[in-house]
Amino acid sequence: MIDIAHLSKRHGGRTAVDDVSFIARPGRVTGFLGPNGAGKSSTLRILLGLDAPGGGTATIHGRRYRDLDHPLRTVGALLDGAGPVPERRAVDHLTWIARSNRIPRARVGAVLELVGLAEVAGQRVKRYSLGMGQRLGIAAALLGEPDVLVLDEPVNGLDPEGIRWVRQLLRDYAASGRTVLLSSHLMAETAGTADDLVVINRGRIAGRGSVAEVTAGHPSLEAAFFALTGERTAA
Amino acid sequence: MRAAVRAELVKITTLRTGWLVLGAVLALQVLVEVQVVGLTADAVAQVTPDGSIEIFLGRREPARAALLEGIRASSLQISVFLPALAAVLAGQEFRGGQLGLTVLAVPRRGRLLVAKLLAAAAYLTLAAVLIATISTVFSYLGVKDRFPGLPVSADAVGGQARFILYAVLLGLSTYAIAVIARSTLVAIGVSLALITVTMTQVLAGAPGLDALLPVSAGRNLLLNPATGDLTSSPPQAVLVLVGWALVTALLAGVTLVRRDAR
Repeated sequence: MIDIAHLSKRHGGRTAVDDVSFIARPGRVTGFLGPNGAGKSSTLRILLGLDAPGGGTATIHGRRYRDLDHPLRTVGALLDGAGPVPERRAVDHLTWIARSNRIPRARVGAVLELVGLAEVAGQRVKRYSLGMGQRLGIAAALLGEPDVLVLDEPVNGLDPEGIRWVRQLLRDYAASGRTVLLSSHLMAETAGTADDLVVINRGRIAGRGSVAEVTAGHPSLEAAFFALTGERTAA
Repeated sequence: MRAAVRAELVKITTLRTGWLVLGAVLALQVLVEVQVVGLTADAVAQVTPDGSIEIFLGRREPARAALLEGIRASSLQISVFLPALAAVLAGQEFRGGQLGLTVLAVPRRGRLLVAKLLAAAAYLTLAAVLIATISTVFSYLGVKDRFPGLPVSADAVGGQARFILYAVLLGLSTYAIAVIARSTLVAIGVSLALITVTMTQVLAGAPGLDALLPVSAGRNLLLNPATGDLTSSPPQAVLVLVGWALVTALLAGVTLVRRDAR
């Protein structure tokens, strides 16, 4: 379970995250929805120990990320802006990650196979397309067979088949009793994947609940989103 | 900790740029040594019965001591390029956002830095040993007619051990500077500045200050005080090098802990 409580963060003079609280439960996909710059990535980076919070707490199974033993065996993460060195081969990239958390080497081949990159595993990452890079990031997240998945915009750059694959992967993951936190700005995609929703706008929580609760009284998630965030709907 | 060190070693050994830089340094050394070996052989052939040699024009000196210093100097001169290797190894973290992944894998940043420094030290030791080996081989080719055992004598091996210590500590300092600055280029720039200050002897009027510079400490550790203007004793030079490595590593640790992993 992921528990975010009263989290805040400032970047210089700008408030990126302001008193954000929510819970992502096991067995469910929790969609973390908001426009670009709303504070989604900042919240996830604090949760994963990359950025220090200005206040509040973020825990996974009751512990801070940095206090987890071999954290990649508990949490798998895909974050925007945290990627491999372009000149390194994909297989080498996954190998160092596996070594760092005592993950068996066989998992490297297994996740490459799972994400469809086994045949290009020896290529340098700089030769990968955006979608292949995204698949490699997902492979890294799945490497430790974690209980918790935290994915930031996982379908960016994926083709329709890839998007469907990610959707099914996340549904299956949650169905097996594990926790999935899916950050996205794509409403249709999130509506089709998530069980619960947390809507964030300008660093503050604008709404949360099950998809049915959040969209109640609105014709669609998009309409609910714009109503919650006070943004104008598209013409 | 062992897992973190092994992961860092995988990163280093799978970084093509690191091998290219090391290969270029070793190739340059071989090129220089090929030019020098004939001159050394000529000088050795003309060692006088009293055991003096004229390696530098007009300067006669005891052959054994001069040749031993030549071996150490041969390693020392090429080691000015090792900081570039250290900077490349450290700087990979800041390309493509790899630092974020690294901190995800090893979130305790103090432990992470120690692992990184240990792995870098191992690779830099390998590089320094290769440099010392090339110096020893070419030295043997130059002196084999009169002093075949000299390049592997206890004095020569001891000198090369001091060189390896210097090269690793200088490399670690540069590595830490790259972590502090989060930039390969800045670390190379700082190293170039330090090398330039020592080589141009702009601090010749302030030997106490010069002795505190890492490249000067290398010179003070490896060269013969009878033939050069050194600014400190070898033990003091070791302290200076260890001090640079510790202080820069400490600053790198503070930087890594305090700043967001971006």
